[in-house]
Amino acid sequence: MINLTINQKPYSIDADPEMPLLWALRDLIGLTGTKYGCGVAQCGACVVHLNGEAVRSCVTKVSRAAGQKIVTIEGLSKNNDHPLQLAWNEISVPQCGYCHSGQLMSAAVLLRENPNPTDQDIDNAMAGNICRCGTYPRIRKAIHLAAELQKKEREAK
Amino acid sequence: MSTKQVSRRDFLRVSGLAGTALCLGFYFPSSAKDAEIINTTGITSSEVELNAWIHIDTSGKVTIFNHRAEMGQGSFQSVPQIIAEELEVDLNDVNIVFAQGNREKYGNQVTGGSSTIRSSYKNLLKLSATARVMLITIAAQKWNVNPAECYAASGHVFHKVSGKKFHYGELVEQAAKLSPPKEVILKKTSEYKLIRKPLLRQDTPLKTNGTAVFGLDKKLPGMLYATVERNPRLRGIVKSYDDAATLKVPGVIKVFKVRMGVFKTFREGVAVVANSTWAAMQGKKALKVEWDDSGFEHINTAEIYQRQQDSLQTQEGLFAKKQGDPDAILKQAEKTVDVVYQTPYQSHSCMEPVNCVAHYQGDKVEIWGPIQAPEWVQDYISEQLNLPKEKVIVNMTFLGGGFGRKAFMDYPHEATMISKEMNAPVQVVWTREDDATQGPYRPGISYRCQGAINDGIVTALKFRMAGQNNDHWRSGKTDQANRSTSEGFLKPYYDSIKDISFAEVQFETPIPTMWWRSVYASTNGFAYESFLDEMAIAAGKDPLALRRQYLQEERSQLLIDKMEEVSGWKHRKKNEGFGVAITECFASTVGQIVKVSRAADGKIKIDQVWAVMDCGWYVNPDIIKAQVEGSIVMALGAATIHEITFKDGLVEQSNFYNYKMPRITDIPPIEVYIMENEADAGGVGEPGLPAFAPALTNAIYDLTGKRIRKLPFDLSAV
Amino acid sequence: MIMSIILTMVGLMAFAWHTGNRKEILSSPVVVPIKKDSIASVKAFEKVYRVLMSPRCMNCHPSGDIPLQGDDSHLHEMFPKRGKDGKGLFAMKCGSCHQPSNTPGKHSPPGNPEWHLPPADMKMVFQGKTAAELAKQLIDPKQNGNKSMKQLLAHSEDGLVRWGWQPGEGRTLPPMSHAEFKKAWETWLNNGAYAPKSKP
Repeated sequence: MINLTINQKPYSIDADPEMPLLWALRDLIGLTGTKYGCGVAQCGACVVHLNGEAVRSCVTKVSRAAGQKIVTIEGLSKNNDHPLQLAWNEISVPQCGYCHSGQLMSAAVLLRENPNPTDQDIDNAMAGNICRCGTYPRIRKAIHLAAELQKKEREAK
Repeated sequence: MSTKQVSRRDFLRVSGLAGTALCLGFYFPSSAKDAEIINTTGITSSEVELNAWIHIDTSGKVTIFNHRAEMGQGSFQSVPQIIAEELEVDLNDVNIVFAQGNREKYGNQVTGGSSTIRSSYKNLLKLSATARVMLITIAAQKWNVNPAECYAASGHVFHKVSGKKFHYGELVEQAAKLSPPKEVILKKTSEYKLIRKPLLRQDTPLKTNGTAVFGLDKKLPGMLYATVERNPRLRGIVKSYDDAATLKVPGVIKVFKVRMGVFKTFREGVAVVANSTWAAMQGKKALKVEWDDSGFEHINTAEIYQRQQDSLQTQEGLFAKKQGDPDAILKQAEKTVDVVYQTPYQSHSCMEPVNCVAHYQGDKVEIWGPIQAPEWVQDYISEQLNLPKEKVIVNMTFLGGGFGRKAFMDYPHEATMISKEMNAPVQVVWTREDDATQGPYRPGISYRCQGAINDGIVTALKFRMAGQNNDHWRSGKTDQANRSTSEGFLKPYYDSIKDISFAEVQFETPIPTMWWRSVYASTNGFAYESFLDEMAIAAGKDPLALRRQYLQEERSQLLIDKMEEVSGWKHRKKNEGFGVAITECFASTVGQIVKVSRAADGKIKIDQVWAVMDCGWYVNPDIIKAQVEGSIVMALGAATIHEITFKDGLVEQSNFYNYKMPRITDIPPIEVYIMENEADAGGVGEPGLPAFAPALTNAIYDLTGKRIRKLPFDLSAV
Repeated sequence: MIMSIILTMVGLMAFAWHTGNRKEILSSPVVVPIKKDSIASVKAFEKVYRVLMSPRCMNCHPSGDIPLQGDDSHLHEMFPKRGKDGKGLFAMKCGSCHQPSNTPGKHSPPGNPEWHLPPADMKMVFQGKTAAELAKQLIDPKQNGNKSMKQLLAHSEDGLVRWGWQPGEGRTLPPMSHAEFKKAWETWLNNGAYAPKSKP
């Protein structure tokens, strides 16, 4: 059995330790928000947080995640109200929406480490996430908006 | 009761929508074009039979059915936005669900040709207004007042004078007993409260927290997972296979041969069924299959284009359209231009790889998946399995991209066959490599374009294309010219250039092809609009002025005014390259201007893209802008980054490392403008794509004098 | 080939450079006694250089801040940046994709527990360097992270260096075995760490 902590909840699964975290999340645990896009760390649809770092769950063995803290898109916020989620909604970023779990999880690391990202910072953080619908201009816009929202949120506190 | 009852067996029983309710839908007479509105309210109280876009229950809860696939283009928002407008309900208070595949209930559900709005908006407006009038009629009866004294708003009917009100739920029981009125008065554009407003998409919250259910996310109790190793040469059959290593992979349950239809042909593979996707993928890797592809043409990309271009030099082809006598004009012309353009095969590469869940249960099969054409799937599976149509239930999930790929029926058929073999619900997952290497693809096409100029006037245009016809795959018929040969080309040109012809030199390969966003306009547009640029240069005209000269009709003139205004075309500077292209696609016209310059490192840089969309009547301006932005990004990839090539019958690309995608670092600033008019609605999801490539290459010509006639090209190498 | 024949006038004495009239005394203390043999040293470096300039080594010692990829050493797809510590930036840290071991499959990310680029303050660029430049750079404590001779000698056994010989499916190996490389590396250092002559 492999013990995982996902979105602050403990899980115990009977999985091949070689199985990528992606498939353990989707098929064994039923958290389907994390997506399969390429299987070889090219597209970023499967990004989750492992101890706060963005990792591509399609190439991360479930054994690497054992005993570690995992956050998936389902756990990015309790009420769909992370500044990025609010900004994504405000700017109607997603089209088909399939890649956006990964886009948001990548952007969340950027915003945590750099609360005022420039366009260059956004490029440096987001070039690993492919969007076939071409929502890139809106992703950029929404990250800037989320940075503002995050700032306001912090000031309010 | 209902004015027309469609046979009961065509209705699906849907639980969860119980209680007496008002249900309105259409009756689609098979031959007539106009749909007839019917009251389809169920008689029983426990289960309501739906044949409706609109369902209002006694609590006032409104459910709106989206009959089309949501693959990013926004039908999930725009269909309800239309209905809520005339129904007078708040969009936030309605429940939106996907309709199942059923031609009798919903008419044509094939999500293609940018047709969702343009083919159904008039019916949807009328249907919603009809429901509103019926509710007002009942309210007026209850108050014993003239219906003219009543109005509807926010899901209520109000009496103007007394201020009394009913919520819709209080009226539906009696309204359900009315016959729908024959005529209703629709709102004027100026009265719209929802339509033409940039309302936020209702599906966004589902797509930011992982709750949107795509095909790949569908789970059923006891569901198994399958992968399939398919013949890598696209046709051909399984000779033998060795599954010893596969069966040793923990979790693998069964391995067997599977055959699936690809329209009129078949494809064979070996299915690996397991208890997780991962196990199925590992099992597939361990499989050894020997293929029999004897008789299969081992195509190569270079040979494909050689054959196309040779035939364009020697054959006239079948005329798709001809006016006047371009050959005669070309013979006498003062000046002629005769050039060939080449466009590549492309993969759809939806972010959600192809997948499908099927549950075969002997006398019926139920399917869930990212499906663009639910009633095609229903027809096809029913035909292949010899099941009555109502026993083939097709459920649409959200689609993680479609672009035409998911209007093929191969994958639902394959999933059904595997479920049948397993006698259990099965999800078939295509790996990214399967998705990239199996097709179908956008066909690669060569064009020969000839033009005549006399006294600086374009007097004749002769266009010929050689490339695969998607229709041949679907119909098997090859005796007619491709009717899409002139797609992309603006109709007003026909009025000012009297001698024009479009012909198709027929070209076949065994490569499966299918619609790819904007379909033939995506490649025609590059050839025809590049050629008009070449004609402008040859005639000594400004490329935008040339379009103005030959596109005399008012909408085109206004579009060009707008393009000129937003781009500053007239004030462009010497070290800037400006390119223009205007294309028509699915009843909408889009003009684009691209500005390029040389960056400090000497490489071409796209500084700006301006796009102007004229789609006539429209619903949501923000969705239109998003669709045009996305189309431009997709066009950028197809023009400068990726292509599908064949070597000895095998596709050479397999994943995003060799079929590369534009990334956030590649995207130029894009500005989108929408023309305001009352013309009939045109398409939105695709028409933004075709003009980009020619506008870009025309801009590069303007800057460098280098004419690019072959896509894709390496922007950094120009 | 060229370097092995042409001996330079550059001698190494207790980690000090004599370059013509210029003399640079390097700060690091000498721990290991150096046997001076410029011919043997330069000859060994020729081998070392061939290994270091092979894609397996050079790809993570780029001239810019984006690593290289593949046997053709193209810019790494998706342009991950070096970052201050050499471990990437934000959502594009090396460890986002590169696991503690190679991920199976021809185009899957290679892996090692220490996967990183040299840090921003000590970039240790290989790409574009001549043999002479690279040799000098390798033993310059200002450019090599203040490594002592002992540390330098031990570097050939570094886990990430050794990864070059287990690069995973679809990646060519360096042009000689690890043992041969190690021997050349030590021979080069132990015989005075002479740099080949700079090309005119």
